[in-house]
Amino acid sequence: MASMPHTGADPVASALAAPPLEATRLPELPEIVVEGGPGRVSRAGLRELWDFRELVTAFAARQVLVKYKQAFVGLGWSVVQPVASAIIFSIFLGRFAHLGGEGLPYVLFVLAGMTSWTFFSGALGNSMESCVRDAVLLRKVFFPREILPLAAVLASLVDFAPTLLTLVVVSAVKGIYPAWTLLAVPLPLVILVATALALGLAASALNVYYRDVRYVLPFLVQIGLFATPVVFSLSLVPPRWRLAYQTLNPVATAIDDMRRAVVHHTWPAPLPNALALVWVLVLLVLGYLLFKRLERGFADRV
Amino acid sequence: MSSAIAFENVVKHYRGAGARSLRDELAGVVRRDRPKRVVRALDGISFDIPEGEACALLGANGAGKTTALKLATRIAYPTSGTVRVRGRVGALIEVGSGMHPELTGRENVLLYGRILGLSRADVARRFDEIVEFAEVGPAIDQPVKQYSSGMQLRLGFAVAAHLEPDVLIVDEAIAVGDAGFQLRCVERMSKLVREGRTLVFVSHNTNAVETLCSRAVMLRQGEVVLDGPAPEVVAAYLDSFAQARLERQADHAALGSPLEILRTSLHDASGREVDEIASGEPLTVRLHYRAARPLERPIVNVGLADPRIGCFTTASMARDGGSPELLVGEGSIDVTFAELPLLPRVYEVWAGGRSGVGVGAILDWQRLRLFRVVDERERQGKTAVTATQNSGPVLIPYAWSFGGRDEG
Repeated sequence: MASMPHTGADPVASALAAPPLEATRLPELPEIVVEGGPGRVSRAGLRELWDFRELVTAFAARQVLVKYKQAFVGLGWSVVQPVASAIIFSIFLGRFAHLGGEGLPYVLFVLAGMTSWTFFSGALGNSMESCVRDAVLLRKVFFPREILPLAAVLASLVDFAPTLLTLVVVSAVKGIYPAWTLLAVPLPLVILVATALALGLAASALNVYYRDVRYVLPFLVQIGLFATPVVFSLSLVPPRWRLAYQTLNPVATAIDDMRRAVVHHTWPAPLPNALALVWVLVLLVLGYLLFKRLERGFADRV
Repeated sequence: MSSAIAFENVVKHYRGAGARSLRDELAGVVRRDRPKRVVRALDGISFDIPEGEACALLGANGAGKTTALKLATRIAYPTSGTVRVRGRVGALIEVGSGMHPELTGRENVLLYGRILGLSRADVARRFDEIVEFAEVGPAIDQPVKQYSSGMQLRLGFAVAAHLEPDVLIVDEAIAVGDAGFQLRCVERMSKLVREGRTLVFVSHNTNAVETLCSRAVMLRQGEVVLDGPAPEVVAAYLDSFAQARLERQADHAALGSPLEILRTSLHDASGREVDEIASGEPLTVRLHYRAARPLERPIVNVGLADPRIGCFTTASMARDGGSPELLVGEGSIDVTFAELPLLPRVYEVWAGGRSGVGVGAILDWQRLRLFRVVDERERQGKTAVTATQNSGPVLIPYAWSFGGRDEG
């Protein structure tokens, strides 16, 4: 079936399928122009990224495989972190600081936020390291470089599934059973993935040039945890600032969406989500522009 | 004929080595005077490799060959200028290039296939062939990090050469493989060339270059210094090393042994001291010796060598029974080679000796100096040695004759 001639217009495949007569094969070969100067986002570059899409999943699968191959508990480790943080925060902030949890048991409230935050910070950190981690590949073989941070975010997504499951189970234990609103989970997930990718693209490229990034970013993420409604409720933000806050910090919107979907059983608020999505798209374009601008020096500098 | 790879005035500069951090960068801003160390890896090179041509890149280490390959494979980008590449590129630039150590050989083959832009089915069709060529056997399902460097190399080459690239780029990495594998690599590459694929080959194995490539480009310090038919460029390339060695050689002394050689001089038929000699002329090698102690019946041997094949002739006192009774103090030993039926090239003089009574070396066998044989007919023109390296060094007088069909 695979060797049957197909009508799909894949120029490489059809070039290969053609008889090896130079005269007929040559004009079909695509030309690649390697030029100096800073890189740009181009239509050809995006098409190439699409051609290499299988490599994204291959790299992501490889990372997941490598990560858990020699770990006995395997994927279970991805659950430990948000659960442990939720318990610690609920002890210190719930018991001692008496922070409220939107009418929920505080530990469940924090866990609902921590699930999203752990994924976001994990995906961001993972993609920030991606280019440096695969320095060997960068120096030895060509592929669209943005595949590395992309695959890193995708690999982190694998960790998200068991943590979401844990949240659903813990909710059920506390008497909150899954509802139709779970169908809204992909929306906050898209926001989280896009935000992590936007920042991850920029951070991974900068990290190649300045390793300071890998020391500064975890610190910023730590601050971000307290600038985002993970351990406190979005209602603590004054109403007149709330929309601007939810737009500029899309993770706040995503966490609110996630809580609504899993534990509050309400649908996401349309306006903050729409604005957050627009802003994330802007970030994504900016991150990609920066990445493409810097990527040509990767092999020399990594 | 359209070109597969075209370099158009390509410049590649590297910033000076050393770990970079924001601190360095800030220091650079504060101290404006800090000179920027720039390595000029490629300094404006231009050449063009047509479709289906096999072209070698030659040059000493650091000449810019690997940099050029990295630009053609889009691993790195030029500082200025343009490289045009037509078609899919299969490349083996370093051992383990494109191989991920944590993945199995099988996974790596699939991954590399996808890197080359092939579908899963395309790779699957060629999978057995690749495994067979790489001779990794059941290890194909083990992580590549457990492979020996030879296995990594074989798998890397097998993948690059079997996934039907339009352009195959092979760096000197294959030199790591054993002789049998190198031979199979050369066979595989020549098969691809016959099929009309383009080959760019970097190697210090000049025989392989001459076998595979019709053309060669020689780089020196980031510039194209010669571009032409492979045999000529190979000869010039070898000659450039020989020339460098000739210029570097010091006083050709061998000190510290019972028989010390203070100097080795060369003389032509008229006894005049020379550094080069015309092909077919007689050559006298004069060893200026100092005996640390009186040496009874010393046996001295003098050999002439081609750097690639060792001594092809030796003058031996043991064979001739021509030893002096006693060597005392300083003096000289002459040996005259009646004629030098040698092709124009650089040769070496070697010498060694042992005591005629009892055993014991009085002079370790060693290279004493280099000299150049020139062809009188070419002396007026270039000094470059033009004989191809595939022909041996010795020129035995010969004649052709042509007969009709045997009517027996």
